[in-house]
Amino acid sequence: MIELLMTMFSATFFVTVIRTTTPLLFATLGGLISDLSGALNVALEGMMLIAALTAVIVSVYAPWYIAVLAAVLASGMLGGLMAFFHLKLKADIILVGFAVNILATGGTVFALAIATGGDKGTSINLQSKAIPAVTLPWLDAIPGIGPVLRSLLSGHSILSWLGALTVFLVWYFLYRTPWGLWLRGVGEYPAAPEAAGIPVGKVRAWSLVASGALVGLGGAQLAMFNYVGFTRDMTAGRGFIALGAVLLGARHPVGAMLAALLFGFFEALSIVMPNLFNWIPSELIQTIPFVVTILALVLFSYRAQRARQMRTLSKL
Amino acid sequence: MAPLLQAQSIGKTYPGGTVANDGVNLTIMPGEVHAVVGENGAGKSTLMKILFGMEQPDTGQLLVDGKTVSFANPREAIDAGIGMVFQHFSLVPSFSVYENVVLGSEPRHGMKFDRAKAIAAVRELSERFRLHVDPLPAVGDLPVGQQQRVEILKALYRDARILILDEPTAVLAPQEVAELFVAVRSLVEQGRTVIFIAHKLPEVLEISDRITVMRAGKTVGEVMASEVTEQSLATMMVGREVTLRVDRATREGALVCEIKALNIVGENGTTLADDLNIKVHAGEILGLVGVEGNGQAELLQAIAGLRPIAHGVAYLDAQSLGPMSVRERRAIGLASIPEDRIAQGLASGASVAENLVATKLGDRRFVRRGLLDLKAIKAHAEQLIAQFSIRVGNSRAAVGTLSGGNMQKVVVARELAEQPRLLLVNQPTRGVDLGATQFIWKSITQARDGGAAVLLSSADLSELLALSDRLVVFYRGRIVAAFISAEDLSPETLGTYMLGLDRQDDRTMRAALR
Amino acid sequence: MSARSYSRWSAVGRETGRAALALLIAVIVALVIVLATSTDPLKAFSTLLTGPLSSNRTIGLWIDDVAKLTLTGLAFSLVFQARQFSMGVQGQVYMGGLFAALVAMSPVGGTMFAIPLAVLAAMLAGAAYGFLPGYAKARFGASEIVSSLMLNYIAILVVNFIVRAYLAPAGSGQLMTKDFPDTAIFPAIIPGTRFDLGIVIALLATVLVWFLLYRTAWGLKLRLVGHNPGFAEYAGIRSSVIMVSAMTAAGAIGGLLGAVFVQGRAFGNIAVDFDGNLAFEGILIAIVARSRPLAVPFVALCYGYLRQGAQLMGLRTDVPSEMIGVIQAIIILLVASSFSLPGRKTLQRWFKPRSRLPAGASAGEAR
Repeated sequence: MIELLMTMFSATFFVTVIRTTTPLLFATLGGLISDLSGALNVALEGMMLIAALTAVIVSVYAPWYIAVLAAVLASGMLGGLMAFFHLKLKADIILVGFAVNILATGGTVFALAIATGGDKGTSINLQSKAIPAVTLPWLDAIPGIGPVLRSLLSGHSILSWLGALTVFLVWYFLYRTPWGLWLRGVGEYPAAPEAAGIPVGKVRAWSLVASGALVGLGGAQLAMFNYVGFTRDMTAGRGFIALGAVLLGARHPVGAMLAALLFGFFEALSIVMPNLFNWIPSELIQTIPFVVTILALVLFSYRAQRARQMRTLSKL
Repeated sequence: MAPLLQAQSIGKTYPGGTVANDGVNLTIMPGEVHAVVGENGAGKSTLMKILFGMEQPDTGQLLVDGKTVSFANPREAIDAGIGMVFQHFSLVPSFSVYENVVLGSEPRHGMKFDRAKAIAAVRELSERFRLHVDPLPAVGDLPVGQQQRVEILKALYRDARILILDEPTAVLAPQEVAELFVAVRSLVEQGRTVIFIAHKLPEVLEISDRITVMRAGKTVGEVMASEVTEQSLATMMVGREVTLRVDRATREGALVCEIKALNIVGENGTTLADDLNIKVHAGEILGLVGVEGNGQAELLQAIAGLRPIAHGVAYLDAQSLGPMSVRERRAIGLASIPEDRIAQGLASGASVAENLVATKLGDRRFVRRGLLDLKAIKAHAEQLIAQFSIRVGNSRAAVGTLSGGNMQKVVVARELAEQPRLLLVNQPTRGVDLGATQFIWKSITQARDGGAAVLLSSADLSELLALSDRLVVFYRGRIVAAFISAEDLSPETLGTYMLGLDRQDDRTMRAALR
Repeated sequence: MSARSYSRWSAVGRETGRAALALLIAVIVALVIVLATSTDPLKAFSTLLTGPLSSNRTIGLWIDDVAKLTLTGLAFSLVFQARQFSMGVQGQVYMGGLFAALVAMSPVGGTMFAIPLAVLAAMLAGAAYGFLPGYAKARFGASEIVSSLMLNYIAILVVNFIVRAYLAPAGSGQLMTKDFPDTAIFPAIIPGTRFDLGIVIALLATVLVWFLLYRTAWGLKLRLVGHNPGFAEYAGIRSSVIMVSAMTAAGAIGGLLGAVFVQGRAFGNIAVDFDGNLAFEGILIAIVARSRPLAVPFVALCYGYLRQGAQLMGLRTDVPSEMIGVIQAIIILLVASSFSLPGRKTLQRWFKPRSRLPAGASAGEAR
């Protein structure tokens, strides 16, 4: 037990948490944007998977940043495809989302086999690249806390830093720009922006594309830093956990970040715990993020319900 | 003087065959207040949607300042100087007033939304046109009259030269209407033009300069307000002498429904109704008067079991309704015609027969040991279709394919198939054509004569005055006046109470509440 | 009378036509993919289209798939009719399979009660697992989409763990159990093949679900809740009870599918990851069948054929069988979009240009 606590408060654990949180954070922010515009994106899982594969394959032939860009483009285009079927052809957004997920699970294995020449499990035979880590050796020079800071802040992926910046950018977009106002208006009460001449369909379409682009960054991080290379079904439910994080984060970027951190924390735990407690089977440890999501979902919904009831009762 | 806006031979047919506009002509002069009147379904809303770019006409053309224009979407209409204030407001509830006003045309500072500038602009407009409203609070917290001002400010912010107001007085009490007219006159003084859609004739005659009358999708006439009377306008609108009258209750029956000290609290904690004391007897119609949103609908929902009662009791035949489920209340004779037939009264995708039997699934005639008796259900449906003259091919058709009036008839047929003890009615003829309206009125009075106690709420004062035997007035969730009969009651008197400007003393009220 | 039946048949015809069109488009896309990626496209494509009929064995595989697809299609149809998006069928399959396996591996497994008891246990387990997201939604307002998906992952992990650690032969490192005793495995209808009790169960389930939905008061209430929950509440129908019972009933069917998996002649044991994600293909079946129980077996028949073809193509040629995922996605997208009128109009405009103008002809054309 003491060992567990000591591990949890160590610097390496912190670094692990940041690493596990990054893909979740991007996926959550993506889910947040589309949810706020009124189109719930259940395809985060599939988009992330496709982005991961795209990043891996492109990185064999091009530098890492091109691969990341390709991943973003691929999942952004998927978002556009979803927008087309949902907005132009009036298909239900949930069904469209699941179609994309199904496309991803089968399609990525298919594409993987073609790319590796027959290997349907992993891309281990491909020379895919990794995203470079950002080392900050100059932190050591700061008197006193320097080495501690260095162990905490050095060695993260570039995308992790980008992730933190993205939280701020998303917040700024939503609450400080006119287009963020449009997006929130479209999600809350579409009749109002429509009467003001705002193209509701276009706003939703772009929010799906943006959602895809953000998830793409998550997929790239997953397959080029957290792991290097693609394995079938490697997203393992992260896209759905991200949905839970969107709900848990009260549909606000900062809340989303905190929720993603929470789930990243538990994923990191599930990585660390088998070493400490090898009498707990790995499958059960892997269930922790899912169980936590359900508990958090139930708790949060219950609290929201109780808050409504309390307000009703308190007026007596 | 050349016309500012013209519509020539506008035609529009909706898929499904409804001819909404047929050769409609409209001429609007600059600086005038022009009313477009007609009954529900006359085609006024469609014409306005075309003017505002929300619909495209199949035939005909629009001219602004003598030049042909066509608006593919509201944005283009707004750019041409046309602004529209809808009957159902398009305001985002959680956004503040100024955010709603500038939405879509926000002042910017680079990429940033310049909030300070927006607030200042809204304040300035608000002063100039005498539409006083605080820019900062969330629009969802404001009363309806102020929300309407926000809507008008929206149009003015975009330099609308022509303002189209769609039934603006439907949600206002008489004195609020007077304030609105003050604002309209000030708009005209400052060079704007106002188009006013209505079917409340006294107001139309008071405020407008010229009037265009529509009927069944066509224009039937264009007159000067100074040259017509209410009666002649009504005749033009309907095409025949209209006297909708209904027989009053002849005898007084036993006490059926009693409400004591009822208190209803909403989801966000606000008190929706407080200290309500009402008695309704068999064989009478009690009309609930009040501006929409003052507690009438909430009372009906609470009695029906769709809203919890916070305090107090409601009795039906001396049984307390509080602990009863909706099903149990229906089982002891409660029937209710809801305000919104599509959202609440019907399942549009289900068949007419299924809708007609939906409230009777505990009845042994239709369900035995959990199994449906399809033959009995079909026979029941066919009998009701004949009895209530519902125009539909056969009982398996989906209810959503019927016209508004026929859909409402399905609701009425279902609720009145068996004689109820207590009938709750909310907006029975909203969006329903004249023929169906008369039929529905007849059905309600027949239910009353059969011994039902009826609670009637309506936004249409004339409907309340025509149907009700007794009346109570709601203001801010409380009863402020009660009247034993509807004779000699004028809308102005009622309006005084509806707006809380006056309150009957308790003794007069208790006498009328019996 | 005749007018009514005519319109009913024409509606069926229209729906089938739409589905067939979607299928055709998907197959064409498959052809393009195969052309692009295979060294012997002709062989690949012919295997895809004719493989399942090539031998008695492959036909048996096909029918076996049809049984399973029917059951998952029924489970999804039930929840879709109530407009609930509970995606938990996969979790219910695993729970059902686990409990059926437990019965089969217990002393009861050697008796003649093995099959009925195991099936019953599976259905109860599945029902309980389907109940959970329903209860969470009814009591706490928690989204059933998220909770059911989470429960899927949890079920798979837990069942895999139990199989690996406790049920598989100890110390063997195998990921599956020994075969069940013969009395616990479904008997074959055509000896020597996989054509077994599973298809009978599937067809019985179809009739049962149809009967429940269209001949009972519960089913009518469920469909009304699906059409308009506000109306159902106003009419006195307890929507939350109906929603929970719908998800529970669908869970029972999911559990039943789990029993069919582990007790069917195809396996006769329980292994790690035994469903191969088949449970999710029920979504496609339900959508194409418009959630109508009587249509589900037919859709399962056609789709099962294609699926089997893809498997054989993956085995016999160089095109991986996962390509069917692309086909599935296209079918779902196309069929889901022709649900409401505007989508159909778009498709009609592409394929059957008519003179009748859709609403929205521009004003500029009239002079």
